[in-house]
Amino acid sequence: MAMNLTRRTFLKAASIAAASVPLANVRAKAESGLVKAPLVAPGSFKNTQTVVGGVCEMCFWRCQLVGKIRDGRLLKLEGNPKSIDNGVSICARGNAGVKLLYDPDRLKYPLKNVGKRGAPKWQRISWEEALDTCASKLKAVIDQYGIKGISMFPHGSTSTYPMDFFEKTVGTPNISEASFAQCRGARDTGYLATIDYPPSEEYADMPNSKVILLIGSHFGENIHVSHTKQYLKGLENGAKLIVVDPRYSASAAKSHIWVQIRPGTDTAWLLAIMNYLIQNKKYNIEFVKEHGEGLGKMAEGIKQWTLEKAAQECDVPAAQIKEVADLLAANMPHVAIHTGRHSSWYGNDFQRARSMACLTGLLGAFGVKGGFVPPANPGGLGDYSWPKSGHHDKTLQELAGLYHFAPPGTPPDLLRETAITGKPYPIKGCIIWGQNPIQTIPNQEKTIKTLEQMDFVMCVDVMPTDITMFADILLPDCSYLERYDLIRTGTQWNLAEEHRQFIAPRMPLVAPGFERKDSVYITNELAKRMGYGDKIPIQTQEEGINKMLAGVQLSIEKIKAEDGIHIQPGKDPYGDMELTIEFYNEELEEHGYPGIPTYIPVEHPPEGYYRLLYGRSSVHTFNRTQNNAWLMAENNINPVWLNDKQAAKLGLKEGDTVALINQDNVKSRTTTTVKVTPGIRQDCVYIYHGFGSRNPELTVGHDRGIDDQSLITKLAVDPESGSYGMRNNFVKLVKVG
Amino acid sequence: MAVHSLPPDQDDASVTEAATLSSLYSFLALTMRYPDPAFCNEPFFDTFESLLASLDWPSELAELQTWRRQTPDRLDDLRTAYTHLFITAAPGGTIPPYASVHLDGDGTMYGRTTERTRDFYRACGFDLLSETEPADHLQFELEFLAALAGEAKFDDEERFLQILFRPWFAQFQKKSMQEARHPFYKVSIQLIDFFTKEEQ
Repeated sequence: MAMNLTRRTFLKAASIAAASVPLANVRAKAESGLVKAPLVAPGSFKNTQTVVGGVCEMCFWRCQLVGKIRDGRLLKLEGNPKSIDNGVSICARGNAGVKLLYDPDRLKYPLKNVGKRGAPKWQRISWEEALDTCASKLKAVIDQYGIKGISMFPHGSTSTYPMDFFEKTVGTPNISEASFAQCRGARDTGYLATIDYPPSEEYADMPNSKVILLIGSHFGENIHVSHTKQYLKGLENGAKLIVVDPRYSASAAKSHIWVQIRPGTDTAWLLAIMNYLIQNKKYNIEFVKEHGEGLGKMAEGIKQWTLEKAAQECDVPAAQIKEVADLLAANMPHVAIHTGRHSSWYGNDFQRARSMACLTGLLGAFGVKGGFVPPANPGGLGDYSWPKSGHHDKTLQELAGLYHFAPPGTPPDLLRETAITGKPYPIKGCIIWGQNPIQTIPNQEKTIKTLEQMDFVMCVDVMPTDITMFADILLPDCSYLERYDLIRTGTQWNLAEEHRQFIAPRMPLVAPGFERKDSVYITNELAKRMGYGDKIPIQTQEEGINKMLAGVQLSIEKIKAEDGIHIQPGKDPYGDMELTIEFYNEELEEHGYPGIPTYIPVEHPPEGYYRLLYGRSSVHTFNRTQNNAWLMAENNINPVWLNDKQAAKLGLKEGDTVALINQDNVKSRTTTTVKVTPGIRQDCVYIYHGFGSRNPELTVGHDRGIDDQSLITKLAVDPESGSYGMRNNFVKLVKVG
Repeated sequence: MAVHSLPPDQDDASVTEAATLSSLYSFLALTMRYPDPAFCNEPFFDTFESLLASLDWPSELAELQTWRRQTPDRLDDLRTAYTHLFITAAPGGTIPPYASVHLDGDGTMYGRTTERTRDFYRACGFDLLSETEPADHLQFELEFLAALAGEAKFDDEERFLQILFRPWFAQFQKKSMQEARHPFYKVSIQLIDFFTKEEQ
């Protein structure tokens, strides 16, 4: 460029020759984004306001929040002082919600992929174009392949409304929720098959327990504020803590007994404890007489599980199993056998959950202080729903005669297999809403093949993720800080204190930024374009919340006037739960599964390999927080824990950089560092789940650490529930550099 | 369009100069706006070329002309390029056009700088039309400069450039010159630099 001209001289010249550069004509074609406004002296609008009604979603626990807002900008998040759940406390992730809200990489506008699935090239488009495209493409799939040509992968509260639409009104059976098959499905169904009552991690009355038994749960690394308060109060009150974990977790570090069990053998360990309690009549005979069914059959079936046999299988001392059993018996019924949550570990997890429920029954620990106690949450909330269409196909598991204890929805394994093979029918349309199936479902190659064969893929999310790279149309969702969408209910965190209940709807702390839209808007607009406009149950998120609140004579306005949380007198949660404990379940046997809790052995690692275990970082929620600058500043890699003796054998030392290769010769795309420790068994290694995203649109999180899911290629599916077992893969470590 | 007009007591020469500067800033703001057929059309590109010719920037002019000649659907091409450069793409590929991302230390949007920028607008009697986008987007800052020039508030213009605009734009430009391979955006950013930098 010629640099002899300055701005000043140009302006003078251009002023004379203005007609030769018709700037003004061009300028007149577009409205300025700025308008005249009354003069505001600096400082006159500086008041910081406290906005109430926030309900966190940096994890699923949903602590109640307030936001410090100045001039529409969220400065800080805090616990709502009125909360009887988390109180004023929020965790690191809760604090870092500000960084999610204002992450420069967040999705801002509807996008069309003008490149390829997996290697996208985006173009911003209008909502009209985006919605028209999504609706016409989905309709085209339905017209050609029928309703079951559509599939959906939803996750989180934002996806509840659209999931209802596609499941009930459109009528597709191909819906796969991450929270089931890749998380708590085996636990839920195992308990349901035993006590006919859905379990929850919230049902452990830890503050009032004499013994807390954690099987794999690692509080301290897994932080949910009121839950952590319950756990710590229990320890403060003198509860004995038993932690079953192959790794010296944060909880193991606080334990009275650490059971360093061989991975996958927990059910054998539980059966031995139950056998010992029965054989020695150390169980709650009165409770079992009143509530148990089939104890004799179970006792007979598990009598082979002596302390010695379990000791050998589980690789722990027989004396320690006895010590645990005696401790439980001595303190029954005030024993909290924590149900855990993520339980899709080894493909034998239904049986473990069932064993845990049976052990709780043997100890009579249902409904008693310190035991399994569902809080008396407030009831009476109103409801609204998409109408059922009357067109409902059988699910894939029903067609295949598999997974008889799976809930509604389809295990992703069947869904992917069907999509790839086209049998028993083609699946050609895919809606992904808040879920990242690449980093949650084992065998990523199969997930990618599933997507590649689709006629149309749409994603709705807050951030770019691994899966959004495969979208044809990508829509920007409102974050939990910008929308209404659920009502959190509960009680005071310590069940033994004054009984109170709370009702806290999620309300936006700030207005949605850019062109983000909430799921009610998006779903309704799709419904109208797909010919279901007359079935729409609510017009706005606010209408939905008000309909629910009307059931308890409340409204958004009333809740706002009550500082974001309605509190009312509660009920005593303790007392007879009127359960029947099915130590033997006939229905299970009818479907060809074991009628009594049964241990199904898992494969041992081949020579030179270690079992790959994964878990949580205390400052992350898996891939959902991988681009959060504050949280990544605290923890931006997932070091692989390796036993010190094995490290010496391999010639590895703390901080060495390694890649991982699994039993199927799949090598990690990225590397991580080694953490050498005596605090893990010699037959396994451990890393945090959710790192190493493949999406380069994540400025902070892309390729940080290793994506453990990329190494989970061998599938193990729980036969009763259809959940995945994700800890049956083995890796070796390869030093890099 | 919001009309920014000069007070009547300015002499004719400075009135013309201010109006030209205001139009220039407005034009530059358009180059940083998501391409829309309402303005992003042939007269717009013609004007762009005229401006480059007036400035005597022959190589930039040639680049733009080549791009026009070789690109049948220019609007579509610019939309993809804009999305890639300023909205979402691989790291390094996208240069967020928000001051706070470059100035506030932790790569945030809606940072302290966003607030200071909006404060500045308001203190000069302007505000954003919409609440959904941050005040420190390059487009809005250029529109603000256009508004100030339109009212011949040259002191405010200079102060804004010095305190809030140049500190981040210099960083933005540096990154852009590494990434902005698209001739339209490369030249646009060079033009913005030329018309906003302090004269030696």
